[in-house]
Order: sequence, then structure tokens, then C-alpha cells
Amino acid sequence: MHQSQRLLNLAIRIVLLVGMPVIFGLSVNHYFSQANLYAIFQAFAFLGIIALGLSVTMVAGEFDLSVAAISTVAGLITVKFGGDSALLGILYAVVFGVVVGVANAALLPRLGVSSLVTTVGSMMFLTGVGYWLAGGRVLSYGNLDVSDFLDHNVAGIFSPRSFITIACFVVISLFLRFTTLGRDIYASGGHRKAAIQSGARVGKALTVGFVISGGLSALGGGLLSLSLATASATMGSNILLQAASAAIVGGIALGGGIGSPLGVAMGVLILTILNNGLGLLSATSTQILLVNGLLLLIVVLLDGRLGAVLASPLDRFARRKASAPV
Amino acid sequence: MHKTALEPIAQVSPTALRRWASALFGTTSIHAASIRIATLVLIVVAAAIVPHFTEFGNVQSLMYSVAAVGIGAIGMALVTLSGNLFMLSMGATAAVSTVMFAALIHLGLGTTLLLVVLSGLLMGIVQGGIIALGKANPIITTIATSSIIIGAGVIYTGGLTVIGKGDATWLGQGKLFGWLPTQILVLAIFAAIASFILQKSRIGREIRLLGMRAEVARIAGLRTMAATLVCYAFAGAAAALAGSLIASSSAQGNLTYGIDLDFNAIAAVLVGGISIRGGRGHISDAVTGAIFLAVIGNILLVSGVSYEYQLVAKGIVVLAAVVFGALLARLGPGRK
Repeated sequence: MHQSQRLLNLAIRIVLLVGMPVIFGLSVNHYFSQANLYAIFQAFAFLGIIALGLSVTMVAGEFDLSVAAISTVAGLITVKFGGDSALLGILYAVVFGVVVGVANAALLPRLGVSSLVTTVGSMMFLTGVGYWLAGGRVLSYGNLDVSDFLDHNVAGIFSPRSFITIACFVVISLFLRFTTLGRDIYASGGHRKAAIQSGARVGKALTVGFVISGGLSALGGGLLSLSLATASATMGSNILLQAASAAIVGGIALGGGIGSPLGVAMGVLILTILNNGLGLLSATSTQILLVNGLLLLIVVLLDGRLGAVLASPLDRFARRKASAPV
Repeated sequence: MHKTALEPIAQVSPTALRRWASALFGTTSIHAASIRIATLVLIVVAAAIVPHFTEFGNVQSLMYSVAAVGIGAIGMALVTLSGNLFMLSMGATAAVSTVMFAALIHLGLGTTLLLVVLSGLLMGIVQGGIIALGKANPIITTIATSSIIIGAGVIYTGGLTVIGKGDATWLGQGKLFGWLPTQILVLAIFAAIASFILQKSRIGREIRLLGMRAEVARIAGLRTMAATLVCYAFAGAAAALAGSLIASSSAQGNLTYGIDLDFNAIAAVLVGGISIRGGRGHISDAVTGAIFLAVIGNILLVSGVSYEYQLVAKGIVVLAAVVFGALLARLGPGRK
């Protein structure tokens, strides 16, 4: 992806982040009320943590198709085994997510298979595990104090749950930026062969990437099920679509090596603002699904050739400017 | 002057068994050959030890469960062979097709099938166009179109079941010679067409070469765009046909019918031993994969294992096939 394409992407993001609230604010009463902003950040809390994990694998040049299934199973684990202590339930869930992440990554460098294949396998397996754990029912969680605590309003628009997501964004951001392993993750996605030949620890980077994505998906799913005080086998069915959209809108290139957690956070905000606004305009869940699908289609086209075509005038402009006499 | 006349013609003509064996296993990969043997062994063992497995009714239901998934797997196989991994909108296409089939069946079976399959073809062409012309990521593109197709379907049906007002029993419950479901005939014809296109036609060779080395295929001047379009068109049509088969058995359409075709077709392709890196594999591999999974599912069903465990078991089989296939690809000669 060229510099100009990235700039175009950033410009689109900023226009959407500013433009959508203005439009929704004009068409919906009380759009900027504290309650609605709180609702937006609650949606951000779940989608954000899933999209963040997914985006780390995308930066490494891979793709974790199993994030939704992991978060569903993690939610079931939390509710099933966290009856006495919610913390223990979350811990089990995260350990489960980390184990799945290790397994997802274990096959990659040794077997040389695309992660789309291994994670489609684990997605199918975990979907089965989810149905098995739920046993065809919606599991309910008795300890409502935990739900109240996780979602209680802090500073008007935040909650402990959204703080956890924001904290994850900060930690992952620092990790990717300031550690060698973080930079190895970027290198693995940028140019795999060059990364291996210049001594980047690609195998380790991929493992860490999938562990992050598995762990974060599990944490997100566990926290969501605690907050809803229920868990079912179909809970996370729609989240992969949204997480992929958010990551790509947020400037993560599907080819790998490009993008940052800050961008992903912007992408997630754009998606939550869009879905929240559509909901306030009384769109049905189907219509929202349709809009999300269209958005992902546009975004994936922009990631492909269309983006390069649209950015080419910008490129020419930049070149002319560079060659012009000062 | 030709010297061929002087050369000895093949002295030892292969025995019938050897010819049969080489037809079954000769040109396929080790993985595909192993699955064929495993399928045969599984069927023999199941016939011997699983009660009721060989009963007429059970064999019938086994054949019905192979038909739709087999057709879906053939479509998926073309996408995989062209190097585009998977098409994740086949389930959505099949689900919408069950609704279309039920809504149109009053026009007569032939017309309905034609219209439904054509619309599936069109959906495939649109997606193939986006992927080939727009250079868009195939997985993400088909995830997106999947939700668009389902969304459109929900808006049309309101989530309700559409009950057909026509006669689809020839396809749904018809049997040739009193035992062979017409659905199996449809599968066999579809497999033969797909196999012919892939192995004998120019575009088929282009599809396989595109799957092996996309860059080389492009530089060599192959019609890479047409090849991609054909694969997705075929896969869309396959999904629509699979949806029609599913809808025909009850003359009903619902958006939850056939929605798991993605998973089942991917599972069949992975288990059957078609190379995920594209280019290597046969249509018959995908069908074998579908049969293998159907037999396993049937054994579990007959043994009274619950649906949840069946899903887990299917997942384990697919994961095992991925690992096994990747190990073989690494050990095998001439593979990178």
C-alpha cells in the first residue's frame, strides 16, 4: 500500500468519525445524551477487544477466522465455571483462548499452511464445542453483582468493561511499538521472506500474535457474557464480520505489515457509531447486517485495486510537489 | 518414416485390478488416495459392526445427505483449486436458493431449477468479478456478500418459511430403479460436468495453473480473470443447486436450510485432500470427502450420538485432515 493510499484511508476515517455523529445528531433527538454515548462505548468494549486481537494477526500477515467462535466458547466457559468466582471464570476462559491461539499458530510455520485454513478448522471445531457446552440452551449467570459492577457508569460515558478494552488497546499499542517482538510481528506481515532472512523471530511472532488474538477474544467473550449474565452457542455469530470491517476501516491492510491499534480503535468507533445510529433510526437488525456487509464490501475493495486507483491522483500530486523547485 | 510401428507395443496388459486401482488412486495425491481407502474401510467396518447401518432406509438417508453437500463441495473445490481458498457465501446462497425454489416451484420443476441455478450463477459472477477485477481479498469479499445475500433474503421472507405450491417430488423423493435417489444422479452429472471442464477444457487447465502460480499464469498470458469468474460462477450455481435439492425434499424454503453448506463443503474439500494452495486436486476428491464425512455423520447418528457431539467430531476430523494433509505435503516429493 502506498503512502497516499494510507493518507486517503486516514482522511476517510476522520470524515466518517466527524460526519456520522453530525448527521445522526441532526436526525435523532438526544443523540449526544450521556446515555447514548455510554451505549456507544459499551458496544465499543466488545467489538473493540475482538477487532484488536484480530488486527494483530492481520498485521502479522495472517487472519484469525476463529475469533468469533473463541469468544462464544469463552463466554460459555465463564458462565459455566465462574459461578463461584467470576474472576476464576474469566481466567479459565482466557487460558482457553491462549491455548487455542497457541494451537492455531503451532501449525503455521512448521506446516506452511495458511492461517485461514487452520483457523477455519478450529472455528468449526469450536462451534461444535460451543453447541456441546450450551447443550441447546441459553445458560444464565446468577451473580448479578458482577454484571452490575462491570457495567456501572464511570465518568458519565465509560464503564469498567470499556476501560478494560481501552487498557488492552494501550498495552497492545505499546507492545507493538516498543518491543522487538512487536516489531517482528510487523516484519512478519510486511515481507515474510525478508523477515526470516534478516533474523526476525517469525515463528515466535506468529505464536504471540495468535495468542493475543485468542486471549483477547476470550476475554471479550467472557466479559460480555458476565455483563449480559447469559451465554449461548450463537452469541458471537455476527462479530467476525464487524471485527474484520473495523480492522480494515481502521487502516489494517489485509496483506499484512500495515496499521496500528490506534487506527483500529478509530475503525471500531466508526462501526459502533454507525450501528448505534442506524439502531436509533429504527433500522432492524437485518438492515444493520446488510449495511455492515455493504460496508465490508466497500472496504475490501478499497483495500484492493480500487484503493490504489483512487489514491493515484494523490500520488501524482505528491510527486509533482516533491519535484517542484522550492 | 515412422519408427513407431517397429516399437514393441505394451507387452503386459495391466490386469483389471491394476487398471481399477490406478483409476482410483493413480493420479491423485497420497492424501486423496488415503481418504479413499479410509472411506472404503469405514464403510466396510460400519457395515460389519454398526447395527442398522446397512438397512435400506439408512443407506437411502446416507445417499441423501451426500447429494447436496457433494454438489456444494464440487463448487468449493473449483474455488480452492483456483487458489482463492474458500467461498464463504455458499451457505447464504444455498439458503436463499431454498426460499427461491419454494417460491417459484409452481412454475414447474424444470423452470424453477433453471431460474434458481441461474440466479446462483449470477451471484457467483458478481463475487468473482469483485475478486478478479477489484483484486479484493476473496475470503473477506465472500464474508461480506454472504451477509448481504442473507440480509436480502430476510427482508424478502421476513424470516418465515416459504411453502411451495408445486410438485418437486421427482427431485425431492424420486428414485431410479426403486433405490437410487435422483439427487445422486444430479450429483453424478454435476460432478461429470465439473470434472470435464477442469480436466479436459482449456479454461480448466487455466484454472489449475492459476491456482498453482497466479503470477506465472498472468505473465504467461492465461485468461486469469475468466478463470476466476468461471470458478465463482460455478460455485454460485453449485450452491444454488444444493439449495434446490434441500428445498425439494420438503418443498419448503427457509433461510436456516442449507446455511451450513459453507462448513460442510469446506470440510469435504479439506478432508478430500484438495491442496489448499491451489492447483492440485480432482473433483472426485471433493466428492470422496463429502462421502467420508457423511458416513461418519451417519455412523454417529445411527449410534445415537447427539447433534452437539457430531459437530465436535466433524471439527476434529477436519482439523486432523488439515494436519495430515499439511504433513504429507511437506514430506511428499516435489512439493514446496
